Amino acid sequence: MSSKKHAAVLKAADGLSKKGDISLIDVLTLAETSIRSMKTFVDTLDSAVYKEFREIAEYIHNTKTEIGHLGANDMRSKHIPEAGLELGAVVTSTEDATTKIMECAESVLDADTSDPEAYHQHVNDKMMLIFEACSFQDLTGQRISKVVETLEYIDTRISRFASAIGAEDSEAPTSATEKKRQKRKKDQILNGPAHEGEGVSQDDIDALLNG
Amino acid sequence: MAVDLSMPVLVVDDYKTMIRIIRNLLKQLGFSDVDDAADGTEALGKMKQRKYGLVISDWNMEPMTGYELLKEVRTDEGLARTAFIMVTAESKTENVIAAKKAGVNNYIVKPFNAATLKSKIDAVFGE
Repeated sequence: MSSKKHAAVLKAADGLSKKGDISLIDVLTLAETSIRSMKTFVDTLDSAVYKEFREIAEYIHNTKTEIGHLGANDMRSKHIPEAGLELGAVVTSTEDATTKIMECAESVLDADTSDPEAYHQHVNDKMMLIFEACSFQDLTGQRISKVVETLEYIDTRISRFASAIGAEDSEAPTSATEKKRQKRKKDQILNGPAHEGEGVSQDDIDALLNG
Repeated sequence: MAVDLSMPVLVVDDYKTMIRIIRNLLKQLGFSDVDDAADGTEALGKMKQRKYGLVISDWNMEPMTGYELLKEVRTDEGLARTAFIMVTAESKTENVIAAKKAGVNNYIVKPFNAATLKSKIDAVFGE
């Protein structure tokens, strides 16, 4: 407080004192008590804000740690592309095997049957090729197992992350491409192949069409 | 009415393997004139060039689905009477009902066998 203001306060206090009810000491005591109370209040306020900031800082630090544990870069650069490659290889190998098997079947159906011995040999050769082509199942099984492992890897990390930050589900922002894809699926009724026990059977379909 | 085995048949599927399977089954059933297309747009183009007696189409294709193809065919005066069988993995009731409303003649759910294909073709042509 400036000396001018200090003098004004003293003068006012002296005026009050001269009226006889309140002494200067009373005023100063009151002021001191007020200042002390205010200080306690401000100190409490500082401590609460500080505690809150500290909690926020800790939360940010923990979230950053959990994001690190998520291994998002590893997923994006390694696990997901590898799973995509495995699935691509499954599509290719099943297609190749199906083509080989169909070629064999077509060859048997078109074969000349006039010479039974030659025909028998031809059928045997084609059957062996069919058996060989069926070996794709072993490889695709192994490839799909690797994809399942990747899905489990991602699931474990995302579950841990969601649990650690206490995430609650909310509607995610949808890209224009995704919106377009969802609209097409809805408009064109694209449900995809049903799982065992889902969907309707051929008999049910016949009944629906004829009903 | 007997099925005319010489009528041109159009198989529409985006999977070459499935086209090959259906072609072979049709061949075994005695059909000799089988053509194919990879999606609805290509099929519609072919149908405007040539009159087909039967279209056997998949549902889920890009860019034009079999469902869109069916609706296009039924609204085109020149193509509206073409027999149309949907062969698809889409096996939800809503798909079957939508196809029926759009005017499909029969509906086969994948996977299917030669006997099913034959019986549905026979049913379409009233045999």
